[in-house]
Amino acid sequence: MTLAVRDADALVFAADMYGIQFDQLAALTGGDRSARAAAKRWRDLGYVETAKLNEGPAWLWVTRAGLAACGREYQARRPALPQLAHIRAVAATRIALEATGAYRRASAFWRCERRIRARHGRGIRQHLPDGEVHWPDSAPVAWAGECWAIEAEVTPKTVARTTAIMREILARTGDYGCPAAEAEVLGQPPRHARALYLCSPAALTTVLKAREALGLLSARIEVRDLPPGAQL
Amino acid sequence: MRRERDRYVRHPVRRALARGLWRLLGLVALAAVAVALAPVTLAAVAAAAAGWWRGWPPRRLYAVAAWCLPMTASWLAAVAAWPARAAGSAAAGGAGRAGAPPGLALPPGIGPGPWWLRCAAAPYRAWLASWQLAAHGHLAAAAVAAAPPAVPLGVLAGGLAWQYRLFRMRTGAGGLTPAAPATFDSRLWRRQVRTAKALLAAPGALPLISRNGLVVTGAAIRSIRHRPGRVAAIPYPRLRSHQVVIGSTGTGKTTLLLRLWAGFMAAGLRRYAAGGANRPLLVVLDCKGGASSRKVADRTRRVLRDAGARSTAIWPDEASLSLWTLPPGQLVTTLLDLIEHGTGGAAYYTDVMEAIVSLAVGAPCGPPACSADFLARLDPGWLAASYAASGDGTAVATIRSGKRGFEDVELRFRALWRRLGAGLDGGGSFGDADAWYCVLEGTAEGAVAEAQARALTDLLAHYAVSGQREILLAVDEFSAVSRRLPIWRLYERARALGLAVQVSAQSWEGLADTDDERQRIAATAEGGIWLLRTPRPGPVSELAGTRAYVDTTRRFSGQGAWAGDGLSRTRLVPVLDADIVRQLDVGQAAYVYRGGVTYVQVKRLTGRQAALAPAPADAPTTPLPAVAVPAQWPPAPPAPPPPDASEVLDEAFGARHE
Repeated sequence: MTLAVRDADALVFAADMYGIQFDQLAALTGGDRSARAAAKRWRDLGYVETAKLNEGPAWLWVTRAGLAACGREYQARRPALPQLAHIRAVAATRIALEATGAYRRASAFWRCERRIRARHGRGIRQHLPDGEVHWPDSAPVAWAGECWAIEAEVTPKTVARTTAIMREILARTGDYGCPAAEAEVLGQPPRHARALYLCSPAALTTVLKAREALGLLSARIEVRDLPPGAQL
Repeated sequence: MRRERDRYVRHPVRRALARGLWRLLGLVALAAVAVALAPVTLAAVAAAAAGWWRGWPPRRLYAVAAWCLPMTASWLAAVAAWPARAAGSAAAGGAGRAGAPPGLALPPGIGPGPWWLRCAAAPYRAWLASWQLAAHGHLAAAAVAAAPPAVPLGVLAGGLAWQYRLFRMRTGAGGLTPAAPATFDSRLWRRQVRTAKALLAAPGALPLISRNGLVVTGAAIRSIRHRPGRVAAIPYPRLRSHQVVIGSTGTGKTTLLLRLWAGFMAAGLRRYAAGGANRPLLVVLDCKGGASSRKVADRTRRVLRDAGARSTAIWPDEASLSLWTLPPGQLVTTLLDLIEHGTGGAAYYTDVMEAIVSLAVGAPCGPPACSADFLARLDPGWLAASYAASGDGTAVATIRSGKRGFEDVELRFRALWRRLGAGLDGGGSFGDADAWYCVLEGTAEGAVAEAQARALTDLLAHYAVSGQREILLAVDEFSAVSRRLPIWRLYERARALGLAVQVSAQSWEGLADTDDERQRIAATAEGGIWLLRTPRPGPVSELAGTRAYVDTTRRFSGQGAWAGDGLSRTRLVPVLDADIVRQLDVGQAAYVYRGGVTYVQVKRLTGRQAALAPAPADAPTTPLPAVAVPAQWPPAPPAPPPPDASEVLDEAFGARHE
């Protein structure tokens, strides 16, 4: 049994995003029927497990065998119940962004949080973004060469905490997992040209206040609504 | 009396027998009391054994006993509050619990009588009840019955016994052999070190800042004339005073320094957040240079970041300072000091150079902005035209008279700036970062490092005048560059400016060039002296002072037994034991402060360690206010906003929120 290219992409997507719900899988594979068929094939191969973890469509996550097939060295685990809303929001953000024409034309690359975390040392207290979008230098867009930090805000944090996270993201110069001394080096260009905040209605006010507190740096913060259907 | 003594002299066997019998009787009486008070005895033995095993000071056992008192007080309150009627009727033999021993119808310690009598008799009644319970095989119940009065008493007795043991061994009056006190002390040291290391290994036991705001350096091994405790901690103001650190290579000096620096930063930021002080600034002058200094710089940056420092600038590798921000008068002095001058006949050229540099710096168009600007001004034609335009005829005359010296001066300064590099020619200031780690190549290029040290200290002194920051200047191996800036002069300048200076060296001799300077540095270390393993701790030991020590001699009667007579006298011994310092292990240090010493097992600070203990309830809970940290170096105008990406964002997520 082999995987179609679209199926393989969807499987890697599910592996990178900790797990996805079937409606999101349908958006990736082109419809409900194809999503169910893909899920069945993956289950038969032992690549995924599925279960109904909350109200709404069932969840699908990639097993250790599936991660090995995808070439990912993550630790296989079932999506944790408290994180389901956030996982769904980030997956919806990625689907929405990858569906845009500019993203496809630019052949941009989404570096997921799971991948960042896998490279990141355990126990180091740093905030990790929910994803990074890398725009190739040769992309036919004005922001070619930029790296964006993506943050999906479903539940509001405090303004102070959000401001601190924004500062940390915008001041960072090194890659995640680099020596601590290179994380924020004076004189080096920032790693993230801008940070994109996708907010639920509940978190929007906090994020806007935090952005105001940044002063000149606020020009590098984009605040938008989460795409439709991103919330549970 | 005489006849009595003669009789014993004539009958030594009888005398020995009498003494042995007397001692035996004493032991039997002691054993009887110990058995009768078995609960207290057991607690005392356990406490004394714990003190011995862990090497604790007796004070710690007394504290344990004190912490047991609430239990005893609660128990006494319960005894006093027990219903009097129930107590009276039960004692009269009315009610009784099924299966309980006779007389135990009431809980242990309870009995009839007014409240004060009950409280007074409660220990006796509890003791009686515990014996009765034990006689019926209820050992656990017996222990519980006796615990409220017996545990604090026992721990107190154990503490007293342990203190007596320590006193006997310390004064040389204990032990079976003449070598026993020394052996006891070395074993006690090993147990104390083991206890300190165990505390180091306990996660979270040694935060960088304690709950009461002290800077924790490690676990205390032993304290002499300092308050004994498990944790070695010093208050923040001592880090704001001069300190000296001496330790050979590989003894853990860098680990200790990092701990102190991180503690200074964390405690300073906490005080700053509370509005009690200015923001801290740490400036490190590492005068060795080379790759090892870079490694330490990287480690420092990581540690300080965890301590709360937002930015650590590494000079001159990654950041630069501007010498040209000095006021013109100070700039002239500093520029002249950067160049070595001769004496005697060469003084003439010094005066010529001073005149030319003054004219170049004080030109009517303002002081120079960079080294290129300064060098360009060392042109007699330009300078004369500049001063002539402003109508300063005296300056023009001076320029003409010294015209021949311009070429030499320019040559010397051009060579100087070529050797100094761009580190002093940037646009930065000490205020741009929370910490500066300055690497001076004192080993490889001594002359250049001396000039750099001179310029950096002048810049820092100028910055300190503004009073915006609480500054700690840490200098490592400063003697390598102190030929043109004696460290004691740095000390005096720092004191006048409110800077704290922390001098570290690998040996006593490395502190300064002459013994007079060394003594002066060590004697003014008001924040204390840290001594790691070093072959010559004698001078510091002398500075630490002496303490009274009871020295006891005993007569050895042969066959392994001491005679009963001896002599005690008080003499003064050094507070700091030089032999212990010579034998300190890696990571151990002696902290000398105000005539006392604490031996410390220094806690290594890693990037992953939780830097701060939970803040006290009255501490501010808001995060530290943001500081203006430049996003780029040197400070540049605000970066232009990133290009508009609305095309993709609008398509994916809708309109932007303004």
